Amino acid sequence: MTAPFILFGMFFFLLVIGAPIVVALGASALTVYLAAGDDFVSLVQTAWNAVDSFPIMALPAFILSGALMQSAGISRRLVHIAEVMAGPMAGGLGFSAILASMFFGAISGSGPATTAAVGMLMIPAMVDRGYGRSYSAALTASSGGLGVVIPPSIPMVIYGVTASESITKLFMAGILPGIMLAGGLMIANYVISKKKGYVSGNIHPPGALRKACKDGIWAILAPVVILGGIYSGLFTPTEAAVVSVFYTLFVGVFIHKELSLDGFKESLNSTTWLTGRVLIIMFTATAFGRILVENDIPGMIAQSLLNMTDSLALIWIIVIAFLIFVGMFLETLATIMIVTPVLLPVMVSLGVDPIHFGIVLVCCCEIGFSTPPLGENMFIGSSIAKVSIEEISAKAIPFVLVEILVVVLLAFFPELVLWLPELFGY
Amino acid sequence: MFKLIRQMDKLENYICQLLLCLFVVLLFTQVILRVVFNYGIPWSEELSRFAFVWFVFLGASYAARLSAHNRVTFHLRMMPAKLRNLVELLGDIFWIAFNTLMTFKSIEVIESMMEFTFYSPALDWSMAYLYMIFPISFTLTSLRIIQVNYLKLVCGVKFDDVDEPNLEEDVMSTPASKSEQYGSRPLA
Repeated sequence: MTAPFILFGMFFFLLVIGAPIVVALGASALTVYLAAGDDFVSLVQTAWNAVDSFPIMALPAFILSGALMQSAGISRRLVHIAEVMAGPMAGGLGFSAILASMFFGAISGSGPATTAAVGMLMIPAMVDRGYGRSYSAALTASSGGLGVVIPPSIPMVIYGVTASESITKLFMAGILPGIMLAGGLMIANYVISKKKGYVSGNIHPPGALRKACKDGIWAILAPVVILGGIYSGLFTPTEAAVVSVFYTLFVGVFIHKELSLDGFKESLNSTTWLTGRVLIIMFTATAFGRILVENDIPGMIAQSLLNMTDSLALIWIIVIAFLIFVGMFLETLATIMIVTPVLLPVMVSLGVDPIHFGIVLVCCCEIGFSTPPLGENMFIGSSIAKVSIEEISAKAIPFVLVEILVVVLLAFFPELVLWLPELFGY
Repeated sequence: MFKLIRQMDKLENYICQLLLCLFVVLLFTQVILRVVFNYGIPWSEELSRFAFVWFVFLGASYAARLSAHNRVTFHLRMMPAKLRNLVELLGDIFWIAFNTLMTFKSIEVIESMMEFTFYSPALDWSMAYLYMIFPISFTLTSLRIIQVNYLKLVCGVKFDDVDEPNLEEDVMSTPASKSEQYGSRPLA
């Protein structure tokens, strides 16, 4: 029974001395083999098998298409459409920022990318209209997380692969929770704006919306192509991501005529290291998870949870609190890869549907984007708005609380997550 | 000569970009062939997966060169820079040890695969050659870690946190006009 102690001891030691997450996972797994005097040939096989998978190829393709959409002007047009929708009511421009994140979430699978694309346009616009700088940054950082809940979603791809669940089904199940989270944020934005007196007034001439839509018609079609292709069963998620790469290239070169060779090269360049650093974790996390399962850690956790309480609601609360806590310190995709092999069997043994658990997990990670100390979206918001992380964190508290409330609702009422996929026969 | 060395600095990156283009084009061709002509190339999926595995492991090495691998850093940020560098050096030594052990083990695996050859189902390639990526990538990564620590500790080069971007241009002064600064910098 020493293996789990060596594993966790080594893992936390390596994290504390600042070793990369991939090493903390891999070296602690390796230490378990060495301590037991076992041959670690299986680690080499894991290295190959964990990465040699068709579904994960969606990840580089989505990162690449997201990068290209920036250079091709698709992102800017989508956000602009949401911006001109801003109505004269309290917090009107805040609504637009949330709406823009939803639009953008439907073409991008990444939280920070959504925050960057939306924040670049919306934060200056909001500050211009008298919204507080840190409030604008906190709002975009929180709503940027919608990028990973509204399909397509890179974290859902990673969950689907680690849990061997259908990614298409996850993409279907994420729609309603995404809308609920957006709704929660909109209500919070309305209440706060009303109190602070943030009113946007009608800032755009009539006809501006029609013009924006006409200009952005190819941008609006992007989510139709990606999601329509997946839901109709025409493409697998990986294929849809690849198709969206070529769609973006086509629109960027021939229609918008904005995609430069430099933009293209830079997109390729950043896709290489972003994918490399994330997917190598897939290898060590698989090795780590295998040792946990071999030592029946999930079973022990399930047992000790059940000893504490037999109320599923209480267990959900504990799990959500734990996930949000972990999400404050660990990178999102690494969190999913580490937590899934441990907690999924626990929750399944308690009668929870794997798709339901996956969506709650992704939503918790979504909150992690806008909580310090490691809140990727806040870093972006802070560098755009030029305000400190501390100020943004303080202003983000109401949004985080609303999001937690929505996640708890999602956990308690599985129908909210599972209804849509069932409706479409998945 | 200097130019050559400078090019070597991005070696993995160039190979990765080629592999990325290769598998993205292969997959797209496959989709078009299937949807339009209802035809499939039997080996294309396998080749794209192999290109993808090589892409990931070389990309990890390039990420090491950029010092971009994710770490838990909130407590390290509170330390003085010198102490932080030394603590991280200790972490990196474990990383190199891990890479070295993996290199030797993967060479052992490759040797045994040379004796009892496995062939990939569609392309009929010997898996031993495909597994060569492991000694290559783990060794390259170790070299990159040494390079980064040399640059950091001896030359005093500062590596910015890639997840905490510093915008050179101030967008706040040009409101609601440009959003292209991030164009070059996708975030995942």
